Formats: sequence, C-alpha cells, structure tokens
Amino acid sequence: MEQLLNLLPPLLEGTWVTIQLALASTVLGGILSFAAGIGKLSRNFFVRAISVAYIEIFRGTSLLVQMFWLFFALPLMGISLSPVLAGILALSLNIGAYGAEVVRGAINSVTQGQYEAAVALNFSKRYTLWHVILPQALVEMMPPFGNLVVQNLKDTALVSLITLADLTFRAQNLRNLTLDSVPIYSLTLVIYFVLALIFMSGMRWLERVIAFRVGVAQGRARA
Amino acid sequence: MNRKIRNMIASTLALALIGSLAFAQADLTEIQESGSIRIATANEIPYGWIDENGDARGIGPDVAEAVLANMGVTDIDWTVTEFGSLIPGLIADRFDMVAASQAVLPARCEQVDFSIINSSYGEGLLVEAGNPQDIHGYEDFVDNSNLTMGIVSGADQLDFAQAYGLRQNQIVSIPSNTDALSAVATGRVDAYAATGLTVGRLALNSEDVEAAEPFTDPVVDGEPVRSFGAFTLNADSDEFREAFNEELGAFQETQEYRDILLSHGLTEQDIDAALAVTTEELCSGEG
Repeated sequence: MEQLLNLLPPLLEGTWVTIQLALASTVLGGILSFAAGIGKLSRNFFVRAISVAYIEIFRGTSLLVQMFWLFFALPLMGISLSPVLAGILALSLNIGAYGAEVVRGAINSVTQGQYEAAVALNFSKRYTLWHVILPQALVEMMPPFGNLVVQNLKDTALVSLITLADLTFRAQNLRNLTLDSVPIYSLTLVIYFVLALIFMSGMRWLERVIAFRVGVAQGRARA
Repeated sequence: MNRKIRNMIASTLALALIGSLAFAQADLTEIQESGSIRIATANEIPYGWIDENGDARGIGPDVAEAVLANMGVTDIDWTVTEFGSLIPGLIADRFDMVAASQAVLPARCEQVDFSIINSSYGEGLLVEAGNPQDIHGYEDFVDNSNLTMGIVSGADQLDFAQAYGLRQNQIVSIPSNTDALSAVATGRVDAYAATGLTVGRLALNSEDVEAAEPFTDPVVDGEPVRSFGAFTLNADSDEFREAFNEELGAFQETQEYRDILLSHGLTEQDIDAALAVTTEELCSGEG
C-alpha cells in the first residue's frame, strides 16, 4: 500500500499532461471532424477532394507512424514542431478523420423530407444546413463521438514515444527506476480507466444538453 | 459555410505552426551566451537516467554537467527518450547533444559526430536463474539455433550478433532494458545481450534472472569486443564539439572524473581502456 502511495505523485503528474493532450486533441479533432465531414458532402469538387484525401490518408495510415513522421521526419524538411504540438496534431488529425465519417453519416441520416421542407420554405442552403440539418444530425453524432473521445484518450499514450512526459511515460520511467512492473502498470490502467469514465460521463452530459436544446427526446431523434 | 470553417482551421493551424517553429542548431556562441543547452539521454541505469526527483544522473549526464559547468553552461534542458530515438532526434534537431554513453560505431559515425571517448564497457548476457540453457557466450547461439537473444533496438549488440551469424529469427528486439527483465524471466528470450554493467544491475534486482557465468566475451574480427561510449553531437556542430572536447579532455585528467565513473560501477581498467583509444580509430573501424 505504501509502495502504491509512493508511485502515485509522479503518475498523477503524468496524468495531468495526458488530460491536457486529450482535451486539446479532442477539441481540434472535433473541429476537423466537422470541416472534413461537411466538406465531403460539398458540391465544390476541390473541397470534396481535399476532404476525402484527408480522411482516407489519416484513417488509412498508422497513428504512431504519423506521430513519428511529424516528430522525426518533418524537421528534416525544415519545419520543427514542438513535441507537444506534434503530439496534439497527430492525435487530432487522426481522430478528426474518424470523426468526419461520423459527421457525414449523421448528416446523411437526416430524412429527405427535412430538405424538401426547407426548400418549400425558401431557406437558403446555408440556413438549411445550420438550422435544420445540423441540429438534428448533432444528436445522432453524439454516441459515436463519445466512443472516439475515449479512443483518443487512450491513444495519447503514444506520445510517450516522442519525449512527452505523459502518464505512460511516467509509468515507464518508474519501471526503469524500480524494475517493478505489476504495481506500476496496474495503477496506470486504473488511472486511464478513471479518466475514461470521467470523459465518458462528460460526453453523456453533453449528449443530454444537446438533445434538450434541439428539443428531441433522448435516444429518439425523430419520431 | 465551408469557407468559414476552412478559414478558421487554416488560421488555427497557421498560428500553431508559427508559434512553435524552431530553427535551433548546436551553435557554440548561442549556447555559451544563453548558458543553456538541450541534452537527451535514454532511460538506462547507469549510463543515463532521470531519478525520482526529475534530475538527470548517470555516466553521461554526470560528466556532461561537470564539463558544461566549466564552459559556463549550467542550464540543461533534459529529455528522456527511447534508446532507438536518440540519434533520429538529434538529426531532427530535437536536442543539441546526447549524453547516454552511446557506443562509437562506424555506422553511427556516418550519421552523427562523437566527442572524444568517455567510457568503456565489457559485454554480458542475462539468463534465467540457474542458466537452464547453459549459455556462456555468443558462440552458444551459433551451436544451438533454437536459442533466442533479446537486444534493445538500436543497440550495438545487434552488430555482434550479426557478426556471429545469428539468424534473424534468433534475435528478438526489445524496447528498453526494463523489458528485458520480464522477457528473460518468462522465457520469451533465452538470454538478453547488453553490456556487463546493465546485466549486473538487472541481475541484482530480481531473483528470477542471473548474469551468465562464466562469460566468454564476444570476439569480432579477431579481437574481444569492448564498447566505447561517448557523447553524440550533430554533424554540423563542429565548433561546439571542439570546444566541448577540449573541456572534456581537461576534465578527464582529474580525479573527479574517475570518481564519477567508478561510482557508476566502472573499473579503473575500464577507464584506462576508454582513454587509450580515439573516436577517429573507432569510426574507421580500427578500434
């Protein structure tokens, strides 16, 4: 027990770094999700092409290699991102590519009748998207987004490989000092689990708020 | 709508990029004027590690701190990373120097520069307690091709193993020293190849493993191998390297230098062997 208490302070320091990385990449990833998800449905060929290329490249390649590329290869081309930025960028580009498909799917799931009604009311395309389609789609997006947020939290462990002192890095460092794997890895798993629970409940709260604001009963976007 | 979002993303990314662009080199005047330097080490006791207080310790860091203090550089920004990431990180200009007692090898000399030699080590093998496979040297792996050897990725033991003609499937790559312990104890590898110092330290920490005794040093090109460690620098920081070498050479004549190395488990013979060779000899493969 005392041993566990000694392990806790350094692990918690790393936990704080993990939380910051997870929050930053979730927000940036969210923005990218909407940009690429809506972009993929655009009628403009170039916007569509860029969105599709982005989504397929980042979904189709390894996150770890993307991170290494940003950290070790990009500086050789003259652009040196700080470790924090390289980590956040790789995480959010990756999760944004997955999120884009969620956004696109949710928008597509809004029934055709809604578009027809908007046309009948002489709403502009932009107004229709923002005020008719997206609010309904948003409710649909929230459960899969919740998945992605937790996935992203766990992916942050990879930043320990590009010199960032996150939770996993601290755990590895402690193992090196104590050569003791069982308590350190167990405690690390527990901390990740608690973090995941907190992130998940945050997303559920957001889900309820959005459903309430949009005015649909939870779990039933359309009657 | 698309344009709005695109503009937003473009400006966010542009800001982030501008904020973190760094054009740093290990420039002598810059380092001396600012009094600060970025140094990386791997997490390996006793070569270089970060202790529980976050301070860098070990053969590389302790000597680097003393030498740099003599140069008027006291503010060291330490980074800890995987052994295999040290040289790529140096090339990517993530740090100015690596203080991990990396062995001077011809292949590495093609990528980076080394300081004058700072330390030397013999080899060892970590095996399961009781040495069930009766392993006493690299030769045993040639005689029995069912035996597997764990090697930290990027470490020079891979060169020794290849010189002995070990098969690809006999060599198991391990991320770090710490993982070697469980790999050997659980039989995932039959032995872990590392320097004698590393093997000795790991053996002390667990009853499930031991150092292979007696141990026959691997012989490559007719000579028993010995690893010679030095500080690693970027190929384009000649000026800094020369200034650092000069201070390091002066420091190596003091008792303080010997005390640091002795305190980390090296012997007087190890130190004398280190000071008897030059980086140039080792880089050209004559060492």
